[in-house]
Amino acid sequence: MNTHTNAPTSTDPQAASKARLDALLHHLEHVLPAQAPIRDFVHHNTLHGYQHLAFPDALRAARELTGAEGYLPPERFRVLYAEGRIDATDLDAALEQADIPDLDALVLATCTRRQALTAVLRFPFKRLSRTQLSWQLAETTALSRWQPDVLPTMATALNAGRPEAVAVSDLWSACLEVLGLQEALRHPEELFEAMPDALVDEGDSALVDHHLRREAAALLGRLLGQWDGRAPTVLSLRSVLLGLTGEDLLEILRPALIRPLAAHLDQGLAGWHAPSRGQGFYATWRALAERDPVWLLDDLSDEWAALSERLPDAPLDIVWQELRLLGIPEAGWAAYLERLALEIPGWAGMVLQRSLARPASIAMVDFLAVRLLLERLYAQRICRRHWRIEASVHGLNAYFQHNAAELLVRHALFAGKLPEYLADFAERLVREAPHRESSALGAAAVEWSRVAHLVWRWRETPSVDRKGGASVSGTVWPLFRLAQHLGLAAADLRAAGEIGAQRLLACLTTLDADQSGQVWLMAYERHYREQVFAAIAANHGRGSWTTRETRPEAQLVWCMDDREEGTRRHLEEINPRIETLGAAAHYSVFINWQGLGDRTVTTLCPVVARPAHAIHETALDPAAALRYTTRRAGRENARYRLLQGTRRGLASTAWMVLAAPMAALTLAAKALWPSRVGRLAEAMRRRFEGEAQTRLRFTALPDAPAGTVEVNRAGFDEGEQADRCQGFLRNIGLADGFAPLVAIMGHGSNSLNNPHMAAYDCGACSGRHSGPNARLLAAMANRPEVRAVLATRGIVIPEDTWFLGAEHNTCDDSVLWYDQDIIPSALQPAFAALREQVDAAAQLHMQERCRRFASAPDTPSLKRAWRHIQDRRWDYSQPRPELGHATNACAIIGRRSVSRGVFFDRRAFLISYDPTRDADGRVLEGLLLANGPVGAGISLEYYFSTVDNERYGCGTKATHNVTGYLGVMEGASSDLRTGLPRQMIEIHEAMRLLVVVEHSLDVITAIYQRQPPLQELIGLGWLVVAAKDPETAVLHLFDPARGWMAWSGTAESLPTVARSVDWFAGKREPLPPALLTEAC
Amino acid sequence: MEMDTHLMFDLTARLRLWLPFAIPLLPLLAAALIAVRVLWCSPSGDRAEPLTVRIALVATLLPLLMLILVAVSGGEGGGNERVDLGVWFASGQDAIHLSFMYDTLALTFALLITFLASVTLRFSATYLHREVGFHRFFMALLVFVAGMLFIALAGNAAVAFVGWELAGVSSWLLIGYAYDRPTATVNAQRAFITNRVGDAGFMLGIALAFAWVGSLEWAALAQAHLDPLWTGLLALGFVIAALAKSAQVPFAPWIARALEGPTPSSAIFYGALLVHAGVYLLLRLQPVLEQVPALLVIIAALGLLTAGYGYLSGLVQTDVKSALSFATTTQVGLMFVAIGLGWFEWALWHLVLHALWRAWQFLASPAYMHMVDARPAPSAPTWLARRSGLYRAALQRFWLDSLTDALLVRPTLNIARDVRAIDETVVSRMVGLPTDTLTEALSSDADRVVRGHGLAGALLAWAGGQCDRFESRLILQPGGGRMGAWVGRLGVLFQAVESLLERPRYLLLLIMATLVVIL
Repeated sequence: MNTHTNAPTSTDPQAASKARLDALLHHLEHVLPAQAPIRDFVHHNTLHGYQHLAFPDALRAARELTGAEGYLPPERFRVLYAEGRIDATDLDAALEQADIPDLDALVLATCTRRQALTAVLRFPFKRLSRTQLSWQLAETTALSRWQPDVLPTMATALNAGRPEAVAVSDLWSACLEVLGLQEALRHPEELFEAMPDALVDEGDSALVDHHLRREAAALLGRLLGQWDGRAPTVLSLRSVLLGLTGEDLLEILRPALIRPLAAHLDQGLAGWHAPSRGQGFYATWRALAERDPVWLLDDLSDEWAALSERLPDAPLDIVWQELRLLGIPEAGWAAYLERLALEIPGWAGMVLQRSLARPASIAMVDFLAVRLLLERLYAQRICRRHWRIEASVHGLNAYFQHNAAELLVRHALFAGKLPEYLADFAERLVREAPHRESSALGAAAVEWSRVAHLVWRWRETPSVDRKGGASVSGTVWPLFRLAQHLGLAAADLRAAGEIGAQRLLACLTTLDADQSGQVWLMAYERHYREQVFAAIAANHGRGSWTTRETRPEAQLVWCMDDREEGTRRHLEEINPRIETLGAAAHYSVFINWQGLGDRTVTTLCPVVARPAHAIHETALDPAAALRYTTRRAGRENARYRLLQGTRRGLASTAWMVLAAPMAALTLAAKALWPSRVGRLAEAMRRRFEGEAQTRLRFTALPDAPAGTVEVNRAGFDEGEQADRCQGFLRNIGLADGFAPLVAIMGHGSNSLNNPHMAAYDCGACSGRHSGPNARLLAAMANRPEVRAVLATRGIVIPEDTWFLGAEHNTCDDSVLWYDQDIIPSALQPAFAALREQVDAAAQLHMQERCRRFASAPDTPSLKRAWRHIQDRRWDYSQPRPELGHATNACAIIGRRSVSRGVFFDRRAFLISYDPTRDADGRVLEGLLLANGPVGAGISLEYYFSTVDNERYGCGTKATHNVTGYLGVMEGASSDLRTGLPRQMIEIHEAMRLLVVVEHSLDVITAIYQRQPPLQELIGLGWLVVAAKDPETAVLHLFDPARGWMAWSGTAESLPTVARSVDWFAGKREPLPPALLTEAC
Repeated sequence: MEMDTHLMFDLTARLRLWLPFAIPLLPLLAAALIAVRVLWCSPSGDRAEPLTVRIALVATLLPLLMLILVAVSGGEGGGNERVDLGVWFASGQDAIHLSFMYDTLALTFALLITFLASVTLRFSATYLHREVGFHRFFMALLVFVAGMLFIALAGNAAVAFVGWELAGVSSWLLIGYAYDRPTATVNAQRAFITNRVGDAGFMLGIALAFAWVGSLEWAALAQAHLDPLWTGLLALGFVIAALAKSAQVPFAPWIARALEGPTPSSAIFYGALLVHAGVYLLLRLQPVLEQVPALLVIIAALGLLTAGYGYLSGLVQTDVKSALSFATTTQVGLMFVAIGLGWFEWALWHLVLHALWRAWQFLASPAYMHMVDARPAPSAPTWLARRSGLYRAALQRFWLDSLTDALLVRPTLNIARDVRAIDETVVSRMVGLPTDTLTEALSSDADRVVRGHGLAGALLAWAGGQCDRFESRLILQPGGGRMGAWVGRLGVLFQAVESLLERPRYLLLLIMATLVVIL
């Protein structure tokens, strides 16, 4: 511990290095998950910090740093291939696109590189271990039949008239011959028996010692020299110790870190917080730790005494001091801190998120200070017990320079490489190490050395597999399989000779895991893209409302959400005279909303914005309002008291006695009739609270000061109202041809027992219900004053047009209509009809949704489908109340006529935009800038949570445990899990979002060149963009490397059906687009 | 007419005879059925789930129905029935009977068990859909239900002990449900081992009951009038078992570690049923406990301590499951207090009401945040809020885990290491087992002087070897050869014993051993 006294005397360099350290902390934003507390969950690109890199590079960089996979596993892609979701042409096109040199060069006389690579992608060619190979040869028909995954036609060709067994074994011999290897296979047990001989023939032990010392020096350099700042990714001290002792100090210190941290960040689950909480996390932790007997109890008192002797007050000083004490060179600090943060990414990310929030509740440096202190504290214990040394680079270095044998044995043991009998010896030595008397150290060294010699000898035995180099199991077997899949018979191989065989084998490693993932992904995306392009091309000129020459019966503006595609389609099938449009459901009004009786204000706008306007809901009848608010508050308070009260204190017994009989009834009823009970309870709640007729208070007084983020204006003034309406209508291209009824549909989702509820809600409104925005916009657009202003700006809304607000519940497909009582009486019949049609569309939509729910019947009637959906919404045991955006795959920005009449399987975001009214692309520019990141956020979060749910997602909901109102843990002391749960991504097809924009190439190109954010998203491949010409059926795909590529596919063989139901009935798998005749 | 009633009565009587045995056996059979299915049919995919669910639900709903039947027709039995199905096994005059009981207490608890189990199983069918361990989960839960029913309906301590163990094992299986996570498996192990301490108490109780009462029947225990000290010791065993199973101080920490399993298992085990098994055991032993007021005082004191521990620790918990688990600990602590004060009836009421409420609260815990609208919990009382020492203690859960580690786990590990060392250096050598394979591997052939082939050769070689050994050990070695070695070895042995005795843990052991002998 004498390092403490060596504090530097000159302050200047110290201050400079601390300043650099401070700057380093900000770098962590790139690598940590940026998820907000779970109630404010908004979809977000999981790799947002890497967005400055090209998509494949970002995935590779993230994998190298965190180990998280960036692509679906090859096995999954092969299943998709087998299912026809990827076909040979896709794979071929993807190989072409991947810029692989010499694709058509001949590898062998009869086989091109392209063929070889295709085979390598389509089938697994793993190197086997010796034992696996012996098993294959002894227990399977590998030497008498073709491999089971070889296509029958290929097998016939390979036989060439000979009996199969002859042909197969001939090929095997040919493989051995060309590689010059012999089948020297021995049974694993023989290998074991061979050992003692090798041992007895003891060679020159000094020579072995020499080898061992050199090997150990190299290993030591690798382990302890990695922090010199040159390696891009490093191990932490914890990993080094884990690799040498098998003890994971993170497992041990996790509760010690998480308990105070969770208590500090807690947003109200606990009722009691540290008295010093306001002084920052480090100060709080220190105040608690300083007099904690836990150090004594956990055999850490010496370490703690030494550590606490001289604890600086400033956390930055701690970080600085600890890194120096650990002996990490300054050049490696950034990588080291990054590694530490990434070892519990969820909590570290939440700390970062909270430190950037206003007001900040914690500072990142506080967290890292505590993390480092605990790390060294527990590392000290391990180092003391095993080696009696300081836990620092120097300490370890000095020790292992003199104990080379021990280093090698420990490393080999915990790398899991040793055979059992050697592992036994090694384990015993490791186990005894912490209990050795100092006098026995010499004897121990001899034993380590003995085992090291044994390990060395074992490795030198010829029968042990080694990496690299040719071997029967590692090279001949893959060649044998590859030859079969390429249709190469023994004669072909012999003709090719060793050089040919090596060229063939080189194809196995041409594409690394990331590259083959990328090729597969491109093939997968292409398959779907071709279908979408074909549908759009075929649909050109079919869809109605290219222009509005006749007046639509009604216009409904829905959220651009992929989940609304279905309802819109069904509605159009029911009544083709209806026009539907799509827009981001904040509907251009960013507000702080307070509904009648709401305790708090809700922010309804995209998460990046902060509203300057506040909107209140008021009741027409004050008496009814009072009754409603008091009863609702009473009910909510009672529930709050009951739930909080029964979990603490002695008084809770009394609460429980009252509540238990009710709980028993509820338990029984919910198990039997989830939806009936739910709806009954809902009805009772309504009866109890009563309905109060309400209006929005949204018109600001003329002299009210302009709204700011800090002090909101109550409502919008006339000019602002007109601006919002104008902006909104221009965006969706609705400037004329207004129908008598124009409905603005917000949306939200309700479900029970679902911590991730916000993830199902409206993303454009920060994970809340967007009904109020719809209602507000409709109310504004109905004001004659606003219409007058709009008319002066060229938007003439006919007098007989009425705007309606509504909210669609995406979980149970119900629709709540606002302010029905003020619809002009002339329009009441039309409204009644519209309402009926929307309900009917919702019914059909429920039936369609059922096909993707495993527990729904195969072909449910409308009634049955309704019941199933209701059960989902009201069942508190249901972790999949709805499937959210799980099916999102493409986005279409353009007139509805582009997509109307096509079945898109709820996979398309539909954003209304009229290119004919936006020649210079200004509107489009705004739409792309606003919706591009939103679409990318949703699609990429689903993408990453799907490809590696363990690391990018948050695993199964079954063991989730809501923590501090912040997020979920697994069990009671795990990392905070971010991303999407497994239940949300099961049916997701992991591909990037395809955005089809309806406009000319020139305009889109000009926008792209003007806008760096779009260059990042599109140019680096986070989104795939295509353009549809407004006048013709011509489509272009944007390839960042090559520019616009004209689509040359064919649109002829598209299936055509009357209605959606004719296409989806009885099918459960994802469906390709089909043309619908009834909706046009 | 009379005939009919007679027949009916006869039938019900027969039914009542076999029902108590059939009730816990059904879930056990169902568990076995699912296990067989998993082993032989490896069910997978969505289509395999409904059958498992159906088996499980039938196996809990049928017992529920049967119990309702028994409860409704309970009039004639006088409500205090014991059913003896005969001798389970016997040794000499001592016999253990397969006996069951369905008095009000047993029926109440059994009804509670089957009701909550059915509800939870129904919940799990949807909640665990597509989980990797779906079938495993249902199997373990059924084993648990069977165990709890054995405890509830047991007519004697042996049958109850069977249930006790089944419940313990299933709890271990479900805490370790996500066995790919080290935390889950470590915690499962910890919970299991803590419970083994309680099991030791149970067995002590059984042993003493056998020795002093000669029977394990609850009824016999209730009627036996032994010396108060003996009764106290006998009851103490069971009380320890109850304390451990119901997670009372000092055994309390295991339950906070048990929250690694899926939400429904947390609900039924640590919210609703398992945690009440200890309370039930004490209720069952009411007549015995009432004879030992001192023990009641201890129970009440520990209950009070637990309630305080649960209350304070519960206040600082930041995750829903832990918060609910500490609330449960508090309430169960209060039940122990009630028992300690002799309010057995109230404790039963409290148990039932608490189980029902907590089951619901645990099952709905994922929505807790939404149900309270993320409003902060009411603050701790001001007198408490400022006490940072108490806060530290609460956050560290009163260091019970660390204390156990320091006082029990590490010393035990050390003893184990010493025993192993003795085994390797003394016992193995005496028995002639190969000891140090490492040394052997390197040096075994070194002192072999003759090699021979065939039987005669082997014999000759052996004889040669013996001669050589005799020569080298007894005569040739410096310092007295073998004789000297013997003396030296004895000295080393004595030294070892002495050095062992110097270590406090052996001194402690010795003192304990002495105490046991004296008592």
